[in-house]
Amino acid sequence: MAAKSSSDSDSGGAESNETNSKWLDAHYDPMANIHTFSSCLALADLHGDGENKLVVGDLGPGGRNPHLKVLKGPAVLAESPLPSLPAAVATFLMEQHDSRTPALALASGPCVYVYKNLRPYFKFTLPQLPPNPLEQDLWNQAKEDRIDPLTLKEMLEGIREKAEIPLSEQSLRFLQLELSDMEAFVNQNKSKTIKRQTVITTMTTLKKTLADEDAISCLVLGTENKGLLVIDPEAFTVLAEMDIPSVPVFLDASGQFDVEFELAAACRNGNIYILKRDSKHPKYSIELSIQPVGLVRVHKILVVGSTQESLHGFTHKGKRLWTVQMPAAIMTMNLLEQHSRGLQAVMVALANAEVRIYHDKVLLNVIRTPDPVTSLCFGRYGREDNTLIMTTRGGGLIIKILKRTAVFVEGTGEMGPPPAQATKISVPRKTRLYVDQTLREREAGTGMHQTFQTDLYLLRIRAARAYVQALESSLTPLSATSREPLKLHAVVQGLGPTFKLILHLQNTSTTRPALGLLVCFLYNEELYALPRAFFKVPLLVPGLIYPLETFVQSLSNKGTSDIIRVLVLREGQSTPLLSAHISMPVSEGLAAA
Amino acid sequence: MGLLDRLSGLLGLKKKEVHVLCLGLDNSGKTTIINKLKPSNAQSQDIVPTIGFSIEKFKSSSLSFTVFDMSGQGRYRNLWEHYYKEGQAIIFVIDSSDKLRMVVAKEELDTLLNHPDIKHRRIPILFFANKMDLRDAVTSVKVSQLLCLENIKDKPWHICASNAIKGEGLQEGVDWLQDQIQGAKT
Repeated sequence: MAAKSSSDSDSGGAESNETNSKWLDAHYDPMANIHTFSSCLALADLHGDGENKLVVGDLGPGGRNPHLKVLKGPAVLAESPLPSLPAAVATFLMEQHDSRTPALALASGPCVYVYKNLRPYFKFTLPQLPPNPLEQDLWNQAKEDRIDPLTLKEMLEGIREKAEIPLSEQSLRFLQLELSDMEAFVNQNKSKTIKRQTVITTMTTLKKTLADEDAISCLVLGTENKGLLVIDPEAFTVLAEMDIPSVPVFLDASGQFDVEFELAAACRNGNIYILKRDSKHPKYSIELSIQPVGLVRVHKILVVGSTQESLHGFTHKGKRLWTVQMPAAIMTMNLLEQHSRGLQAVMVALANAEVRIYHDKVLLNVIRTPDPVTSLCFGRYGREDNTLIMTTRGGGLIIKILKRTAVFVEGTGEMGPPPAQATKISVPRKTRLYVDQTLREREAGTGMHQTFQTDLYLLRIRAARAYVQALESSLTPLSATSREPLKLHAVVQGLGPTFKLILHLQNTSTTRPALGLLVCFLYNEELYALPRAFFKVPLLVPGLIYPLETFVQSLSNKGTSDIIRVLVLREGQSTPLLSAHISMPVSEGLAAA
Repeated sequence: MGLLDRLSGLLGLKKKEVHVLCLGLDNSGKTTIINKLKPSNAQSQDIVPTIGFSIEKFKSSSLSFTVFDMSGQGRYRNLWEHYYKEGQAIIFVIDSSDKLRMVVAKEELDTLLNHPDIKHRRIPILFFANKMDLRDAVTSVKVSQLLCLENIKDKPWHICASNAIKGEGLQEGVDWLQDQIQGAKT
C-alpha cells in the first residue's frame, strides 16, 4: 500500500509539472523538413471528411525546392512540386451550391493556382500591364535591325533609371547578359512582343456576401505593382482593383465584399494603409517609421509587429493604442482564436525560441520551443479544435494541443506588467494655487530660468572659491603641491575615555619618496590629552599606506567632544602640507578621573 | 446468495444490473462498440456522432449492462464527471490510428483517474484499442505505453485490440469485464 501511494504521488508530481503548461505535446519532429512562413500555412477540411488537414507551401531547404504539402496528423498525405516559390496559401469556399469542401489557393509568382479536392482546378494569372512605350519602340527598332545590341543596352539602361514604368522581364534579362550573348538574345527574342507582368506578394480571403463560416469568399491579392486585387471565386475575374503607395507585404481583410469591407495592407515603406469598400485609394494611413514583420487583426484592433522588437496596437482608424516591447526579434505572428471561449489573441514567435501569446498588451502564455519558430498557425487540425502548429528554422514541425481545461487568465503569463501598474493613483484635484503657479510659470518662464541660472553660477563660483581657498591653506587631507603628493585618512577607534587615533598616510607620487615630514596635533588641552602631540614621520615609500597610531585620552566627563586637527608639515616650513579635522566621538566610558 | 437467485441467474431470467460508462474521444468508436454489443435485431445501421449522451442496454451471459454512452466531443466532455458516481465500470475507447490525439486521450484519462469520484474506488476499466483494422493503427501494447497504463496500480484494467465495425475483440473485453464485476461482488 505504501508503495502504491508513493507511486501515485510520483505520477502526481509529474503531472503537476505538466499542468503548469496549458499545452499537450502532440508531436515534435525536428527532421520534418518543412521550411515555410505563416502566410504559407492553412488549415482546412479539404476532403470533407470532418478531419482538417494542414496545407503547407513549403519553400524547401534554402528556398530551392518548393513543394505543396498536405499533412494529415503527423504525416504528409500528399506532396506535389511547385514551379516557383509560394507567396501565400489560403483556403476558401468557392461555390455556393457545393459539397462544402473548401478549395485551396496557392499564390506563386504572377499566378494563383486553385486546387479542388487536391487536384489542380484553375490557374489565375494576373492581368498584364502596359509596357513602357519607349521600351516597346526600342524593341521594334531591334526587330527591324535598325539598332545594334550595344545601343539597345544603353537606351534600356537609360529607361531603367529614369522612366516611371519599369522595364519588362525580357529587357531586364537582356541587361544582365554579357556582351557576347547579347546578339543571340536579341535575335532570339526580337520578334516577341514584350510583356510586363507583376508578381503576387501576399494573399488573403474576404467573405463575399455573407459573414457565415461557410459562406463563399473572394481572394484578395497584393502585388509587387503596388496594387490590391479582389478576385471573384467563381468566375475568377477581377472584382475590384485598388492602388496603394507602396508594395503590400501583409494583408488583412474583414467584412464582406458586397456589403462593407476593410482591408489593411502593411507595406514595405513601413506604412499601413487602410482601405474601405468605396475607396480606390487608402482612407487611413499608419506611419510606423519602421518595417512591419506581421499584421494580425484581433477583434477591431490591428496588431503590428515591427523590426524594433515591439508589438503595436492600432485602431482601424490608425490611432496607436499601445506598444509592447519584446525580449527578442519577432520572427512571425498569427492569430489565436479559441471559439469555445470566444478568445482572440496574438501569437508572436521570437528569435529567442519563444512563442508568446498576447491579449491586447497582456501576456497570457509563453511557450518555449527547441528552435526559433518561423511559422505558426492555430485552429482545428484533424479533429482537435485548439491545435497549434509551428515549424522551426531548422525545418522541424511542432504540434501542440491546447488542454480542454486550460483557460488563459490575464496576468498568469510570466513577465507581464506588475498588477500595481494597472491600479489608478488618486491624483488630487488642481487647486487654485496650482493653477496660478502654472500660469505664472507659463508667463514668466524665461525670467525664472535666468534667475535660476544666475543663482546656479553664483553657487558654483562660491564653491570653487572655497575649494581653492582650502587648497591654498592646505586644509584638506589631500596635498595639492606636486612636490609632496600626500593623502591622509584618519580613523578613531574605541569607546572612550581612551581612543586610538590611526592616521593612514600615503605618498601618492609614483617615484619620489617623501622624507622629513612631521605630524602635529592641535587640540583643546582641557578636553584631551595626547602622549605625543608632535612626532616625525618615517620615510614614505611611494604607494604604500603607513598607519601612524597614537592614543587620545578624553579628560572631560561631561559628554562633550571636540575636533582635533592634524597637520602634516615639512621640516623647516611653517605652512602645513595638508591638514585634517577629526571630529572625536563622545566618550561613552567615564573619564580617567 | 440464495438458491433461487442463483437458479434464476443460471436460467437467465433475472440478471444483475450493472451501470457502465463508455468514455473516449470523439470518433473513437464508442457508439459503434455499444451498438455491436446489442442483440443483432436491435442494432442500428448508421452511427452518427452522439450528442450529450445516450443510454443503451445489452446483456452478457450473466449480467445486464446499462451503458451510458457519453459523447466524446470536446464541448461535451465536461458532462462525463457527472456520471462517475453511478458507474460501476468504465469502458474507455481509444482510436488507435489517431496518434496525434493520443496525448489528448491520455490527458482525459488522467483527469478521469484523478477525479475524486473515481480515485479511491477499485473500479474496473476496460480499454478498447479500437480501429485495429486501419493501416496506420498502432498495436494495443503501444497504446497502453502511450497512455501510461502501467501506472494504474489500484484498479483492475484490461486492454483489448478491437475492430468495432466487424465486432472483433469486443466479446473478449466484455467477458473480462463480467468476470471483474462478479469477482468484486462475491
